[in-house]
Amino acid sequence: MSDRSSEEELLEFLYACPVGLIECDAAGEIGMINPHAMQHLLPLAGASGASNLFSALQQHAPELRSVVSAFTAPIGRICDGHRIFVDLGVGRRTSAPKVLTCTIVKLGPDRLMATLTDVSQQIVQEQRLRQADTWFATLLDGVHDYATLEITPDGKIASANACFTRQTGFNHLEVTGQDLAKVLRTEETGGDLRLEEQFEIAGSDGWHLQEGWQQRAGGEPYWCQRLVVARSTGDGTMPTGFSVVLRDVPRREEAGADLQRLLTRDPLTGSANRRHFSQSMEQEQTRWREFRQSLSLIVLDLDHFKVVNDTHGHPIGDLLLCSVATACAGLLPPRGIFARLGGEEFGVILPRYDREQALDLAEEMRKAIAALVVQSPGGIVKATASFGCATLDEAEGSIDDLLALADTRLYAAKRDGRNRVHQVEGRAA
Amino acid sequence: MAEIEVTFESLTLNDLEAMSDEDRDALPFGVVGFAEDTTVNIYNATEAQMSGLDPATVIGIPFFDAVAQCMNNFMVAQRFEDEPDLDDIVPYVLTLRMRPTKVRLRLLAAAGKSRRYVLIER
Repeated sequence: MSDRSSEEELLEFLYACPVGLIECDAAGEIGMINPHAMQHLLPLAGASGASNLFSALQQHAPELRSVVSAFTAPIGRICDGHRIFVDLGVGRRTSAPKVLTCTIVKLGPDRLMATLTDVSQQIVQEQRLRQADTWFATLLDGVHDYATLEITPDGKIASANACFTRQTGFNHLEVTGQDLAKVLRTEETGGDLRLEEQFEIAGSDGWHLQEGWQQRAGGEPYWCQRLVVARSTGDGTMPTGFSVVLRDVPRREEAGADLQRLLTRDPLTGSANRRHFSQSMEQEQTRWREFRQSLSLIVLDLDHFKVVNDTHGHPIGDLLLCSVATACAGLLPPRGIFARLGGEEFGVILPRYDREQALDLAEEMRKAIAALVVQSPGGIVKATASFGCATLDEAEGSIDDLLALADTRLYAAKRDGRNRVHQVEGRAA
Repeated sequence: MAEIEVTFESLTLNDLEAMSDEDRDALPFGVVGFAEDTTVNIYNATEAQMSGLDPATVIGIPFFDAVAQCMNNFMVAQRFEDEPDLDDIVPYVLTLRMRPTKVRLRLLAAAGKSRRYVLIER
């Protein structure tokens, strides 16, 4: 022990450290890095090499570059436990999806220190806890705030309590005998499942809980938790009716809304982030499986985007990305999700869209992007994008295969000359 | 032993097994030999010089956990688990003395041989 040099001991310590440590300059060029950091970085960096932190994470956490450049203080903590979702698909269910967290501290004008940690197991545990929380919140919070309704097997209101009137503005006596879905106009709401779909799940699972926008009689939207419980006599397989509980969830505090935005949005473009994309994909996959609802995916990638960054600089590139996101988000159907998947790659989840509808929307987005004009000191900047579409049916329900298929078609569109939507040969009926 | 040309590409697992410690130390590239449970039992002088570690402290510890975490992923460590017969050269980036360093790795394993090797060429 005594004849080992202190440098050697220090190296041993760093080689064995179970947390990734990285020192880099403001542009992300890595000066020092320990093996644990490289263990995670190299598989992500792929062919582009792992000499630059931001480039290595460009596909999985494109927001890091802008988060760092937006940090103007001379020193300080830029981000703390920023989550990076590595796996999008759910094909490898045997292991937990891989999630890394990244903390970056600015030590000087051109010196950053970062840590990289694998928190996949923690995430799995968190999700379990959150589910339990939702349950307890629903069961324990002030019982008086609940509108409760008894519903017949064919969806008609058998009875409703007085709180239903207070919460929704509909007279609870007058709605008896009416179709609940019509009273609540649930087919018009943007989020999540339709009421009859909730009934179907409750019929098989016993209950179903979801949160989403609901409308009061006067048209005012409010955020509502909706619990559907199936009632049965115990002997038959068919439910003998349903209980529905509606809860007006108090307006979320500003901090809560901020947190929500932080967790689901890409900070640069305001599009959904990879995490949200991945979670939505899994939800929609469940619906595809249970209801055989069609689900389509569009992936798009800006053409020659690197040239824009190289010629006009990252700020103009960022501006272009924002314009693309705004233009495409404006074309989305109510339940569609527009997400930034990587540097200049975006994905669009389209529940209830078949292939023809997806191809049509992709073509609209292509035109919208080609029409964009961004002013730069160096002149006018324009953009085009290439598109690939695929449906979950084609991928036989596998999210990994769906992503791969859409990607393959996107690259076919690139090969065919860019600025186009790849048309699939022999369209299925 | 007759003078045969030993290169990073041509050296076989049997050659490595037959060599003395001194011969392996004289090779111009790093040589790490480890058991099925990944504990290191060969760590040549070239590798020690590149990593800055004394072979005496590396011998007997689990390679992918304590020294070479950067290879503890599907690109290297997993391959030794999945492929009993392995002879492949992969471009890689190591963190020798905490500096990102581009290298070539040669991964060597053979069914029936308990010792596996990673050769490292800077």
